[in-house]
Amino acid sequence: MPSPLELLTAVCLLLGTFLMMVAALGLLRLPDVFCRMHAAGKAGTLGVVLIILGTAAIFFGTPNDVSIRGPLAIVFQFLTSPAATHLLARAAYVREYPLSDRTKVDELKTFLPSRPDEIYTQE
Amino acid sequence: MSPFLAYVSMVCLAALLVASAVCLYRLALGPTAADRAVAFDTLVAVFIGVVCVLCIRWDSVLYFDAVWILTLVGFLGSVSIARFLERGRVF
Repeated sequence: MPSPLELLTAVCLLLGTFLMMVAALGLLRLPDVFCRMHAAGKAGTLGVVLIILGTAAIFFGTPNDVSIRGPLAIVFQFLTSPAATHLLARAAYVREYPLSDRTKVDELKTFLPSRPDEIYTQE
Repeated sequence: MSPFLAYVSMVCLAALLVASAVCLYRLALGPTAADRAVAFDTLVAVFIGVVCVLCIRWDSVLYFDAVWILTLVGFLGSVSIARFLERGRVF
């Protein structure tokens, strides 16, 4: 019978791996680059966080303690991953990468002009 | 490491292998450069998971610093690709 700590680690690892699989599946199946970012950005980040949490849990209290490094890595992941995905999405929109055929509303069109040459000629 | 955790970590490694294969497929065939950047980001995340699971399997945190390095390199790579796509230069 596994101990409670091992059970927690196993649940975290399996859930995190499942979310990684969901992110990869979304990367494979969704129609355009913005939908793929939606899948990879959210599910991928949460999957990494859960796997790191499981690792920090199983090593808690042993000589190999990572209870500082693990949560700090989680915080850093939460800080950096949305920023990177946001910058990529903005760059893809400004460069006019094609939206999917099934797109109905493009609300960003009124806020973000999609002609990069005119945006950055002032610099 | 208990047999239970050995079994669970083996299942996780197999699933992460499948996920990284899918990411490599999108990295090779992505129609646009932004697709490849997103696939690279997800591939880095999958590798972080592999490093963590291997830390558990080997009962050692010797390679846990690779998690930090992969996070930093993945962030810097994504940001520099995005800036290059948007403006034609990085700085």
